[in-house]
Amino acid sequence: MPESLYTRRMIPRGLKDFLPKDAARKRAVENALATTFARWGYAEVITPTVEFFECLALGDGPELVEKMYRLFDREGHQLALRPEVTTPIGRIVATRLKDEPMPQRLYYLANVFRYEEPQAGRQREFWQAGVELVGATGPAADAEVIALAVTALAAAGLKDFRLDIGQVGYGNGLMEGVALSADDRRAIRKALLRRDYVALEEILERTGLPQDKRRLLRELPRLRGREEAIVRALELADNPTSRQAAENLGELYAALAAHGVADRVYIDFGMIKDLDYYTGMVLEGYVPDLGFPVCTGGRYDNLIARFGYECPATGFVVGVERLMMALEGQGALPGSEPAPRWLVGSDHAGRPRALSAARHMRERGWTVEVDVLERPLDALLEYARARGVPYLAYYDGDARLQVFAAPGYTALDAAGMAGLGDVAELFGGDAP
Amino acid sequence: MSGRPVSGPASSDRPLTIALPKGRLLDRVVELMHAAGFETGPLAEADRRLVLEEGPLRFLICRAADVPTFVEYGAADVGVAGKDVLWEAGRDVAELVDLGIGLCRLVVAVPQASGVARVQDLDFNSRVATKYPRIARRYFNDQGIQVEIVPLHGNIELAPLVGLADAVVDVTETGRTLRDNGLTVIATVGESTARLIANPVRYKIRSETIDALAAGLERAAKARREGVVMGGPA
Repeated sequence: MPESLYTRRMIPRGLKDFLPKDAARKRAVENALATTFARWGYAEVITPTVEFFECLALGDGPELVEKMYRLFDREGHQLALRPEVTTPIGRIVATRLKDEPMPQRLYYLANVFRYEEPQAGRQREFWQAGVELVGATGPAADAEVIALAVTALAAAGLKDFRLDIGQVGYGNGLMEGVALSADDRRAIRKALLRRDYVALEEILERTGLPQDKRRLLRELPRLRGREEAIVRALELADNPTSRQAAENLGELYAALAAHGVADRVYIDFGMIKDLDYYTGMVLEGYVPDLGFPVCTGGRYDNLIARFGYECPATGFVVGVERLMMALEGQGALPGSEPAPRWLVGSDHAGRPRALSAARHMRERGWTVEVDVLERPLDALLEYARARGVPYLAYYDGDARLQVFAAPGYTALDAAGMAGLGDVAELFGGDAP
Repeated sequence: MSGRPVSGPASSDRPLTIALPKGRLLDRVVELMHAAGFETGPLAEADRRLVLEEGPLRFLICRAADVPTFVEYGAADVGVAGKDVLWEAGRDVAELVDLGIGLCRLVVAVPQASGVARVQDLDFNSRVATKYPRIARRYFNDQGIQVEIVPLHGNIELAPLVGLADAVVDVTETGRTLRDNGLTVIATVGESTARLIANPVRYKIRSETIDALAAGLERAAKARREGVVMGGPA
């Protein structure tokens, strides 16, 4: 295919259109999330799609920086499309919101962009719904965010899911005060992050750490479960940082029970995420049938300070398309009705009556499509059938009203019309 | 909307799905599974089916290079893949156990008659044929050598014979195929053994089952390395 024809009719790789059915489903999922966030006192913020590259790079680690879409404005400033929204929110908290009473609860629904190899659950443009609870330290704030994640996913209709929570302080503590080069330390973290336990073993063998330390690091990925994982972590902790982290997670877990969501939450001390970013609790949400997380988050007390304002924060983000995939897998994707409930048609003479009836019906909350082509009745019936519109109201030149209903689209008799409710009210005074 | 009840924890009762590479490595894996005390049913027999179920396990037979893909997408919970394949695929999977089987080397080889003795003798005019374009590109980059990579799908040794390439990056166990085709090894890129890999999310959701499999295979692999004959489940 010649290049011009290709680029005129196709879209770039990793991007997609939402046609009416999927757009309606996406909207329903987002509404469920946003309604829940709002009910917990979170207020929506909207940040620009494009920001200065340097601003976005301040929050995002090297991996995300590499994936940014970058461009120049006409003054030569380097810009980028946002690859996530937490950094822009950090920017507004540190600048325009820093004098507001703390803590602040913020949420967002936004499209983000990452230049990476597109595959299932990973596109170059995708949608995120997330919350940030800023200006609050302590397990109660983290517990609220976790409980909100559970509640929001359930509100969206997700049935079978769980959240795993960890504490980055635990693993960090294990590596504190250990005779390791910076390279080895990084290699161990990377192996834990990528869950490459073969590499971890190789590094541990090579570095000649004391036996008990090796055993600890080897056990870290398997330190998971429910309360017993916290008990075990406390037993194993050989330094104050790890002990504090385990205690913190213990308090957090108790708070989750009070929130009534503990049965959804598992402990995983081996959960290593981007360590430049997270400073405490970390979380990921899983669905059995999906090979990747549906939500992710944690505490990030240092990010906002990079914008010149010290402020602790915790939050999470849901991948909207991933959640939709999970819902679809569980047969729980909200039903959508992009097709109108009513089609109203007429011949030329009947048109004023048809428009008046349609206006009246819309005011009463009905979804009404008006035929703008003045098609004859048989053509309209065929169209209604093809579009799946359940009711057709037709006015002929004598302003006579006939109503046809799916599935047979036979004209309703008096009894059938009565079944619709108060017909006079429905059509603004018209009756067959 | 938010009144929906929150039900019990996520769980899964379906069989554990294991993606296995067809070909030579398959027999080694089956031996190891037996040594670890796992039933593999008709896997060892010459069976043409691609999906086989045996008690709590379900086996998918796929091309070696595709195993990481099946596992990353979660079509399989776990799988067995060579480190060479994992390097090349660069997929997001957890690497649980070095199974110690399928030992081979990734090497750079050139025609004996070419007179090329070191990789540094290759330059930007050189073409390197390989099934491992990612690994080859990274290797030559790290060496500071610019070459042209020619990705092929098989019978790599053919490329230098007909002038398609000046060198190959390929995997070899004994070096025999390379020698038979007049190629000589000038550098080793890396060593590879088969690994037990897991989908990161499934590894968490089905951690008990997968940990048991990993522990069993690790014991069997260790015993095999140490030349111990194992009987039945430990």
